Amino acid sequence: MMTPMIASTLLASALAVPLAMMALALSRRGTGHTANLLPLAPLPALLAAMMVPEDTSVVLPQALLGLRITIDKPGAMLLGAASLLWSAGGIWARAQVRSQSQERPFTVWWLTTLAGSLGVFLAADMIGFYLFFTLVSLAAYGLIVHDDTPAAHRAAGLYVALALLGEAFLLMGFVLLAAGAPGSSLLISDAVAALPTSSWRDTTLLLIVLGFGLKMGLVPFHVWMPLTYSAAPIPAAAVLSGAAVKAGVIGLIRFLPFEAALPGWGEVLASVGFFSAFYGVGIGITQANPAAVLAYSSVSQMGFLAAVIGMGLAAGNRAAPLAAAFYAVHHVLVKGGLFLALGAASARLPRNAWLVMVPAAVLALGLAGLPLTGGQIAKLVAKGPLGDGLAGTLAQLSAVGTTLLVLHFLRRLSASAAQDSTEPPSSLLVGAWLTVAVASLVLPWMFLSTIGAASWNTVLSSEELWSASWPMLAGGLLAAVLWPWHTRLPRIPEGDVLAIGQRCLPSVFSLGATFERVDSYLRQWPIASMCVVLLVLLLTLTLAVP
Amino acid sequence: MSTTITTTASGYLLVLAIMWPVAGIMLSFVTSGRGVERLACVVLPVGFGIAVAVLIAVAQGGQSQIYVVGDWAPPLGIALRADGISAAMMLTTAIVMCATGLFAQGEFSQPSDLPEARSPVVFWVLLFAIWSGLNALVLGSDLFNLYVALELLTFAAVPLVCLKGQKETIEAALRYMLFALIGSVLYLLGAAMIYGAYGTLDIGLLSERVRPDPATLIAASLMTVGLLAKTALFPLHLWLPPAHAGAPAPGSALLSALVVKGSFFLIVRIWFDAMPGLLSFAAAQLLAALGAAAILVGGALALRQKRLKLLIAYSTIAQIGYLFFIFPLAAGLTAGIAWSGIAWTGGWLQLFSHALSKAAMFMAAGLIAEALGHDRIAELGGIGRRLPITMLAFGLSGLSLVGVPPSGGFVAKSLLLMATVMEGQWWWATVIIVGGLLAGGYIFMVLGRLLGSSATPLASLAPVSMRRELAALSLAICAVLLGFLPLRSSDFLQIGR
Repeated sequence: MMTPMIASTLLASALAVPLAMMALALSRRGTGHTANLLPLAPLPALLAAMMVPEDTSVVLPQALLGLRITIDKPGAMLLGAASLLWSAGGIWARAQVRSQSQERPFTVWWLTTLAGSLGVFLAADMIGFYLFFTLVSLAAYGLIVHDDTPAAHRAAGLYVALALLGEAFLLMGFVLLAAGAPGSSLLISDAVAALPTSSWRDTTLLLIVLGFGLKMGLVPFHVWMPLTYSAAPIPAAAVLSGAAVKAGVIGLIRFLPFEAALPGWGEVLASVGFFSAFYGVGIGITQANPAAVLAYSSVSQMGFLAAVIGMGLAAGNRAAPLAAAFYAVHHVLVKGGLFLALGAASARLPRNAWLVMVPAAVLALGLAGLPLTGGQIAKLVAKGPLGDGLAGTLAQLSAVGTTLLVLHFLRRLSASAAQDSTEPPSSLLVGAWLTVAVASLVLPWMFLSTIGAASWNTVLSSEELWSASWPMLAGGLLAAVLWPWHTRLPRIPEGDVLAIGQRCLPSVFSLGATFERVDSYLRQWPIASMCVVLLVLLLTLTLAVP
Repeated sequence: MSTTITTTASGYLLVLAIMWPVAGIMLSFVTSGRGVERLACVVLPVGFGIAVAVLIAVAQGGQSQIYVVGDWAPPLGIALRADGISAAMMLTTAIVMCATGLFAQGEFSQPSDLPEARSPVVFWVLLFAIWSGLNALVLGSDLFNLYVALELLTFAAVPLVCLKGQKETIEAALRYMLFALIGSVLYLLGAAMIYGAYGTLDIGLLSERVRPDPATLIAASLMTVGLLAKTALFPLHLWLPPAHAGAPAPGSALLSALVVKGSFFLIVRIWFDAMPGLLSFAAAQLLAALGAAAILVGGALALRQKRLKLLIAYSTIAQIGYLFFIFPLAAGLTAGIAWSGIAWTGGWLQLFSHALSKAAMFMAAGLIAEALGHDRIAELGGIGRRLPITMLAFGLSGLSLVGVPPSGGFVAKSLLLMATVMEGQWWWATVIIVGGLLAGGYIFMVLGRLLGSSATPLASLAPVSMRRELAALSLAICAVLLGFLPLRSSDFLQIGR
């Protein structure tokens, strides 16, 4: 057993090490191989996730705002999976940026995003959570623009605009939470416990759901996902889609009051979630770029997760946060692994394509709940909060859709593998990728007993195996039927409804032009002098109003 | 109420704070341009030390430090008074002054084989004068003395705009001066009316005697609007963009960071100290509404600027707007309402963090313009790779303006938001949030360019001194560190009220 001293040191180092490395990379002059730090930075967090006992807390000194970090079950599971992916992604990133002059800035952005991404799983107070959430949201900008293409700049601009919008929602939401909390406590748990009776309950919940929904890419806030993941370098897309997005998931888990049943809010969240789940499939199958297909798959999967969380909130199900975290852990590894597969495929020679395609297929079908994979367990655990009613049926139908979508992805993947024939990736890269893939298969089995939702025997029962299999068969059948029609599907641009938004842009710009006219009008001497006189009058009048 | 006012133990520091920069001015006249730079190396750190000493004295005493000039108590004589906000304001001023001094070393100097030019001496004399004026402004406790300090500040600030002597900067300076003079006239008129009505201009005595009769209200609104003109609150901002964008970088830093804050400080003095309780709900809403309009229009216009310095100038217009939320939200301060203290702290933190970050940002913009030879935003591509420290300074100060944690701007905005919720005035919360989004828009618009690919070959860039980059960065870091101040400091800001 660990002594509390070692445990808390390890916990603190999970966040301190990436931040210290970031400072080191920032201060280091010249072009030392700062990228060598990338795979190492998340290792303390990985150790902490595995070894630090549950509910260990560290309170930072007052000079560091007295932030409090705590490790609990959902946080530890997500921390472990995310740090594993960040480490594997770091190996890929190191190989990719090594020869470029942009190494240092990329390293700094990467480590900052990483610190934020891991920090949100551990932060126990609102200031700390907001701080890490900001880091993971805004620093990702630097990863997205890394390739410096017009598409990358466009995607990053859109991303940062939406990220700032999300930040604004959350800031207001947290202020309302703090205002409703008893005393001056800024602990998330205290504030959330007081939320159901707060006089600003509904506004707070709306802002929280909007803020985190934006991060998770729930429709219609999903537009940034396809653009971003297509434009970012593959290692960055892997960690962003796998790990960084979970900041939104942990946000919902931490900030929604599962103790109190809120059917209205829960059902709204579930509806939005299911809509996103099907919408992502519908648009995803029209996409040609495999990275965009994966992005739409993320929209769909995060929608499914939101539905799980929403149904849990509606029923006041206290097991829902853990179930959602479990599902999210699986998605961290699978989505990250699939993006790395994309990297591996684009570098493999065509005759060795099966080396990539077979693991990729297992990973991808895991998303749909392929029996015996981690995906089957994740779907099984999610059934708890979803129940057997309408939500349960929709969940099974979404698995049908997911099967269809991942089959489409696999086809696009093999097509892209056939096109490129650059240098094959080193065995280190392949090893990192396969580690993530194996972890996605094995970790859910290991966590199953920890969360106590079901036993291995239940998972392996014929009933459960069939319940996992039939959506896949239906999806496969659907794919076979749709195959000949595939070329007739409309070509929807990445970011779909974004096109509508862009049509509205001119009117927004004309608003700016109006402001400009107002400004130049007011800045004429006669007008400004008139304003002075008018203000004196107005102010005197308003002063006289009691 | 106590009627006898006596000098406190550290009172002499207050005189020193005002007179020390004046001594710098005197000595400047008898030295050469290069001599003044060396002189500044002494005046600046000592002035900083004085500000720190005042801060410590106020914090340790837990009450205002007072100096009664010539031992003649008001209303016969005049008193200098340092409360919590004056001490904090003095320290902010000193920090910005020192960093600006570090930045400006060498900016105006010439090769030794040329005859001496005017501008180096003039710049440093103006810097000392602004410092002395600001200290007099935050320490004064008499409406006429404050007028004198205000004029010193204005007349030191105006020539700073046209230091380069180009036609358009002279035009901008004239515009500034004329409008500021309108403001002065209104203020003086108001002060004269107050004297006529009460026979005193001492703030402490006024606060006891003041009553809401028509003459007082008219006088107060004349003074306030006069000061609004000098603060460039929307819609009285016609002079600010050309003046702040036209001045040389260290000048812009002083103007945007400090000078406009001086007149704001005075507005707060009037409503919270001289005439407590006289600001009606409607009038406070009016002031905040002007602030809100400033935030929205300033932010939207900043997004549309083609030149970096103009963008920053419009951002100043927007950021000044936030300060005016202090009037409706902290109105209950004298009545001891708890959340008024939150708004009070938030408002002042906004002022301090804006001062630090805006000075840093103008310096960074100056360095960028120096390296490129222009400051057209569309052509800034890639400069961040050549000037990483400058870009970091710009980025950090920008994040504080947007209100991203951890930074002074973040704490300021969240405290103001908290106060809007507590006070039930949620409409200001929407403005604060939208203002943050607009700020995020224009900051990332610039950052995106700085990080992007280069349009001009990097080799053709003019060299930039590392010392000046670090001056900008240190201010930006100060703005960030403001976010780490313990919340105890909010008590400090209430010392003396």
